[in-house]
Amino acid sequence: MTPTTTTKSKSDPSTDTLLTDLHIKYIQDLGNSKDDLTYHLTAHLRLNAIYWGYNATCLLGRQDALNREEMIEFVMSCWDEEAGGFGAHPDHDAHLLSTTSAIQILVMQDALDRLDIDRVTKCTPSPPLSCISIAHTDTPLPFGLTVIVSLQQPSGVFAGDQWGETDTRFLYCAVNALSLLGRLDEINREKAVEYIERCRNYDGGFGSSVGAESHSGQVFVCVAALAILDRLDVVDVETLGWWLSERQLPNGGLNGRPEKLEDVCYSFWVLSALSILNKVPWIDADKLTSFILSAQDPEGGGIADRPGDMVDVFHTNFGIAGLSILGYPGLVDLDPVYCMPAGVIEARGLRKGWKALERRQS
Amino acid sequence: MAFLVVDEEEDVKRARLTAEEREARRLRELSKIDEFTKLTDATLTRKKERDWSRDAFDLTTRLLQINPEFYTIWNYRRLILLNGLFVDVFSERVKDILMDELGMTMSALKAHPKVYWIWNHRRWCLEHIPYGPGKESDDDYTGWKQSAWSRELAVAEKMLDADARNFHAWGYRRYILASMPTPRPESSELAYTQRKIEANFSNFSAWHQRSKTLTSLWKQGKLDEAKSREDEFELLRNAMYTDPDDQSVWMYHRWLVGTDGSKELLEREIAAIQELLDEQPDSKWCLESIAHYKRLLLKSYPSDVDIKSLSEEIRSLLSHLETLDPARRRRYQDLGKTAI
Repeated sequence: MTPTTTTKSKSDPSTDTLLTDLHIKYIQDLGNSKDDLTYHLTAHLRLNAIYWGYNATCLLGRQDALNREEMIEFVMSCWDEEAGGFGAHPDHDAHLLSTTSAIQILVMQDALDRLDIDRVTKCTPSPPLSCISIAHTDTPLPFGLTVIVSLQQPSGVFAGDQWGETDTRFLYCAVNALSLLGRLDEINREKAVEYIERCRNYDGGFGSSVGAESHSGQVFVCVAALAILDRLDVVDVETLGWWLSERQLPNGGLNGRPEKLEDVCYSFWVLSALSILNKVPWIDADKLTSFILSAQDPEGGGIADRPGDMVDVFHTNFGIAGLSILGYPGLVDLDPVYCMPAGVIEARGLRKGWKALERRQS
Repeated sequence: MAFLVVDEEEDVKRARLTAEEREARRLRELSKIDEFTKLTDATLTRKKERDWSRDAFDLTTRLLQINPEFYTIWNYRRLILLNGLFVDVFSERVKDILMDELGMTMSALKAHPKVYWIWNHRRWCLEHIPYGPGKESDDDYTGWKQSAWSRELAVAEKMLDADARNFHAWGYRRYILASMPTPRPESSELAYTQRKIEANFSNFSAWHQRSKTLTSLWKQGKLDEAKSREDEFELLRNAMYTDPDDQSVWMYHRWLVGTDGSKELLEREIAAIQELLDEQPDSKWCLESIAHYKRLLLKSYPSDVDIKSLSEEIRSLLSHLETLDPARRRRYQDLGKTAI
């Protein structure tokens, strides 16, 4: 950290409230920053970034801020025919991270029918990727599904792609995407739950793999996956609630692990887990709200990891998502399990028993 | 949905640029953008053409030096190795190429210690180190593997020297230890974590690793559980008195108490923490821990304790915590409701 640069103080009146219009403009302009080197260096995150940006506009109640047709076209252009999934950008390899973003975007745009148009009957990964066997079912699975299902490992966890890296993040991605497509029963649910259970630590949290340290991001993915799989009984609610509530620091922000710095993105990861466990009141909502708001850029819009830092669409989305869970006035309800607008999830009959703070009027 | 795909704690300060500065930056970046997009297009075109040549391999090197997060290019690089550079060569050559590869990713890792794709690539390289130099019946059949694995363990340690909390490095370390051709005695991990903890008591990652190591050693009967538990309490006692506000220490304490859970131990630890609390009456973690262990006593040994007075003590601790730690007051209130 460089203390010499100017940092917006917490009492800066311009960041006392959510700067909705500025954030919308910031997100809209992201696609027009092709003169910016960062734009090109983040092509490998493009589809994820579109999901973050679009989700944020939906939560801000401006779901029409981004062009629907252009977005859907772009998503479809990321399809990786060879591997049978979505890459993060045209000509980039398919990965579960980007495939899940693609499905989330299509669901939010109510455009899942585009998948059926391109229904594939047979998608076999090219050599040498064929080490992963394809699940055999009588009815051909829709586009991309076969591959997601095939990424489940004998242990129950999922690989991110055919190269085999495994992580509870990928397990969540698979469970999230398949449930959105109504095909959760294609995987071995028991094995998936069993794996998550093996990742549980004595502090109540979960890690990225068996034996790994608890981390708020991994806690979110494991708890949300268990919620989707209707197996929250695996969670030691009191212990995890304690661990999660101890993520709040004196400045109101949340950290990801004990004795680490605060970061706006944990506002979502910690809060979503608390919300799924119905324990949001276990932290100080007002202080967290002020912290998130103080990380806004009052001139250019967008939210940063912490006050005074460069903003990005990732922290913008997770900051707004956190504010939605905290009942910030005027925001659209967020479903903490899917990190998508609650109405979208409700319409698909997928809502679980989470609880956010009541939406304040002003 | 993607998350944890971005480096955590990058902390780039926001700078407000004037129109002139912005224009100057744009011009500066223009040539870089041009170089990067041309290189990207050239490499992806070769990938589409299934070009497995050395030339293509060199393009991926250049591109990954600019952007180590370009996962597609790491994938392509591995395809070139498998379908090009590894074809029709002796296994020693494969070994040499992979060792170069590990060297190349080392510099990428130093600059970007939290990029998932670099760590993945290292794992892949390691797993593809061939058997040798000896034949299957020889002693040095796993020689190359063993030396590569040992080197990687040193890499993980080096990365943890730079950032003792880097969870990628800890994960890699666990992976190496679990899959070395000739396993290291697990007990050496106790010495390692102790060193890490003594360097900084706040290093919860090291405490965590230590809890896993001990659990495993106890389970296998390689360590006397009762005796080593006492050693751990000794280590903790030092840490607690050094910094009673450090939550890592209290979390580990909670684990350690839980591994036994006997009434005697609970009462002994409550008394020990009480001593520290008497010195520091507003220590949140002392209060929190005593409240927790008293609740455990109540829950686990209801017929051996004075329920009424214990409940009263718990309630008083919780109400003290409510004023001391108002951010979490609702939690203390909720616990108070279930303390009877």
